Amino acid sequence: MLSGLAIPRSLQTLPRDSRDTLFLLAVVAWVIAPLALELKPWTGAMAALMLAWRGVLAWRSAPLPSRRTRVLMLLLTVGAVFASYRTLAGYEAGISLAILLLALKTLELRARRDAMAVFFLGFFVLLMNFLYSQSLPLAVAAVIGLLGLLTALVQAHMPVGRPPVALAARTALRLMVFGAPVMAALFLFFPRIAPLWGVPGDPARARTGLSEEMRVGNIASLAQDSSPVMRIRFSDLPASVAPPQRDLYFRGPVLSRFDGRDWTPASEQINGRYQPRWMAPARLTVRGPSVRYEATLEPSGRHWLLVMDAAPARPEGAEGFLSADLEWIASRPLTNLLRYRAESYPDFSLSTTLAPAALTEFTRLPDGFDPRTRDLASALLAQPSVAAGGTAALIDAALARLRNGGYRYTLEPGVYGRDTADEFWFGRKAGFCEHIASAFVVLMRAAGAPARVVTGYQGGSPNSVDGVWTVRQSDAHAWTEVWLAGRGWVRVDPTASVAPDRLEMFRAQAPDGAFGQAFGAVVGAGWLPGLRAAWEAVNDRWNQWVLNYTQDRQLDLLKRLGFDDPDWRSMGRILGGLALAALLAGLAWNALRRRQRDPWLRLYADARRHLEKRGLSSTDAVAPRTLARFVMARYGGAGRPISDWLLRLEAQRYAPRQTTASRASLAGLRRQLRGLAWPDTPRSALQRTRTN
Amino acid sequence: MFSRTPRQDSQLLTQRNVYILPTRAGGVLAVVLTVLLVASINFQLNLGYLLTFLLAGAAVAAMHVGHATLRGLTLHLVPPAPAFAGAPAPLEVEIADEAGKRLRHAIAVGVRGSTEPAWTDVGAGGRATVHIAWTPPGRGLHALPPIEAETRFPIGAFRAWTVWRPASELLVYPQPEAGAPPLPPGAPREGSARHAHLAATGGAESEGVRTYRRGDPLRQVVWKKSARAIAAGTGELTSRDTAQPAESDLWLDLHQTGATALEDRLSRMCAWVLMAEQWSQPYGLRLPGVEIAPGNGAAHRHRCLEALARC
Repeated sequence: MLSGLAIPRSLQTLPRDSRDTLFLLAVVAWVIAPLALELKPWTGAMAALMLAWRGVLAWRSAPLPSRRTRVLMLLLTVGAVFASYRTLAGYEAGISLAILLLALKTLELRARRDAMAVFFLGFFVLLMNFLYSQSLPLAVAAVIGLLGLLTALVQAHMPVGRPPVALAARTALRLMVFGAPVMAALFLFFPRIAPLWGVPGDPARARTGLSEEMRVGNIASLAQDSSPVMRIRFSDLPASVAPPQRDLYFRGPVLSRFDGRDWTPASEQINGRYQPRWMAPARLTVRGPSVRYEATLEPSGRHWLLVMDAAPARPEGAEGFLSADLEWIASRPLTNLLRYRAESYPDFSLSTTLAPAALTEFTRLPDGFDPRTRDLASALLAQPSVAAGGTAALIDAALARLRNGGYRYTLEPGVYGRDTADEFWFGRKAGFCEHIASAFVVLMRAAGAPARVVTGYQGGSPNSVDGVWTVRQSDAHAWTEVWLAGRGWVRVDPTASVAPDRLEMFRAQAPDGAFGQAFGAVVGAGWLPGLRAAWEAVNDRWNQWVLNYTQDRQLDLLKRLGFDDPDWRSMGRILGGLALAALLAGLAWNALRRRQRDPWLRLYADARRHLEKRGLSSTDAVAPRTLARFVMARYGGAGRPISDWLLRLEAQRYAPRQTTASRASLAGLRRQLRGLAWPDTPRSALQRTRTN
Repeated sequence: MFSRTPRQDSQLLTQRNVYILPTRAGGVLAVVLTVLLVASINFQLNLGYLLTFLLAGAAVAAMHVGHATLRGLTLHLVPPAPAFAGAPAPLEVEIADEAGKRLRHAIAVGVRGSTEPAWTDVGAGGRATVHIAWTPPGRGLHALPPIEAETRFPIGAFRAWTVWRPASELLVYPQPEAGAPPLPPGAPREGSARHAHLAATGGAESEGVRTYRRGDPLRQVVWKKSARAIAAGTGELTSRDTAQPAESDLWLDLHQTGATALEDRLSRMCAWVLMAEQWSQPYGLRLPGVEIAPGNGAAHRHRCLEALARC
């Protein structure tokens, strides 16, 4: 065993089988790697162990493990997956099992059939990668993986000699390049249909983001997450003109119930479906200029259609409805990238038809919490300016206190205790937007002013390359709305008082996913912001054109192609048409290629075909002169015209100078060929004499 | 189906005579593609669609690449040398890429239905020679079996193949009998002075001694010497060495072989022809309806063996 390790061998001198196996193992490792990063660590470790084992065996050209060992490994693998997930059929369990089986299968790479099994399993694992992320870097990794698998497959079908890997890779690349048009046509026109059956729940795809409830500390956890939430293209604005930051409020869940610790919406989920509690319809009045934009929303697994405040009309391309709290709620959880066009009016007022008594819900506070904040409310109300100015003055007084009271904006305010508002106003005096908003609303309610917390995203940053704005998880924000008699709900952002430059303070820089993070580590290091912007622009195009190519966009495309009422049959017709066109193009090309052959050779070939039909076969290596002699020998005098013609043909070819005149004579020869009388074959002549 | 194709020793592979069908692996690939597609639909994965369709596109391209691997090649049979029955007679096939466009990989050439084809690559514009294993069915003049060239390049999902019937025929000599008895005595030529003497010594003149060879007549054994050798324990017999006299004519007659069945007799005759040729002993052949005058040399040997083969 030691001797095997002691002898160093280079890849060049490795036997071909070992080299091919090592290459295949590298490809398998490449295909598995992104998934191994997502799954439980032991899965990746076990797969790596098996691949390494196989690698060592290949390196030493050692025999493969026995059947018993393999069966044992299989049982161990299945057992480990079951022990870890308590099921084999689940989502992650299935993926783990597939990865491990692929690694295990390499340990019995004997016949070509085993190799095929590895390739086919490899294709499945490639697809499984997309369940976790469909980002551009992962797509590139998958293309490389597919190229690797095809290369290994081609290599397995080159049994002769020791062809270099690059040769197989070139063939594989050619297959993919030729396959690309087929892919494009099918991708564009293969009818998109709804899932055929329900798929098991997908914990792996549960995203971070805003949730329906706000526990103080939630949003702080998002602050470091710079994965994009949505991308926005302002269609009317030139890229250079930035929309004012104060308008960029994207409304998520509106929270009006408070139990002392958690804020929850005045609505509930029934059977997993978001059901806003019945409320009187919103009375939304919009004024002034509108902002039109196109938004691409990352899948969140939740119901919030993020739009800028306030969008009175349903975003085009999305399904959902407007709640009384001005939230746009999608009719289904957003599990896929969604693109929609919306129009928002930054200047709006929101009131309701509710009786003033109903507003008491928004002044309700849990008993026994935050006594000092209640005292503070009484103290504020006692101020003469507040007593005179009503709620508006109360707001001003509270904001003034935030500005001047030594309050600090921080991501790490420490752990809050029971009375969160008390602790903020009097204890730590430091917090993140959610602490500030929560404490502010408690104060408002304690003072008898209806108020609520609104969560969502605020801000975003434009891409310098294509002008598309990106809103990230780190832009998650909580602000408040206070009811002013006669004006309705008015947005108050207390955080802005504490930290007017909040937007510039936290901007972690890394796109989504493990690959993206690796990429971001290289690109987003800060010294190449231009490259990063370009990257985001490319990523946006990717989202728009690949990931968000849905049934709607497919039908749009068909409409643009001139189908009035497109359905799956029109797509079938297009695909059929394309296939037919490809076929005709192939035939035409073939014909063209035949035409491009030397006209002299073609004419000679025609003549030889005539003779071949009569039993005198020859190849084009036979000179016309020789063929003429054969003809004379066979047919005697009857063959004279043919023989002469053949001699003329030869003279034409080897005439001293190739001139236009000689080409004309080639046409003449062709005419003469048609006029030639072909003698019967001797055998049929013989038969005729016999019957006579 | 293939009996329609004309027999010829050179065949250019074109669109018309190269066939292609999916293999079992191709069928599995189709199933894999279907499952990938269903997974893409069910999980609504646009990248899954792309992967599935790219793989399908690559498979379609592979079909064309596989067909093009054979198309444009010329198969040429090197005229086979006569063989002996019962022994393998490898056929030599030259595969040439006349168009010289591309390197062609993994072409398997074999007799139709054989399980062990010969594999070769053909370089762009190059030629390759393969030897196909084939054992002719028996003695006689045989048409060559149909030859199949196939390739599963590049991904094994499709099998492109062609069937080619070479026009050449193969002459198969009878199988030489193993351990055939020694040559029959030669008939003395008319007017030979040593006729009587030769007849007495068994058609050969004693010229010395040599080690006993299987098949030596007993009366040629030097018993005195041999007895001593047996006593010494070596057990080696000694024979008188005889040289076939140039004056004697050796006639090999089908009716005087000592065997009964025709094939056995032909086998023995064949062995004798080879034996006589080895010792440069002129020999003639008498077969029903054929008589070949005594002679010697490769041409004569071929003539005799051919007569035996066609008998």
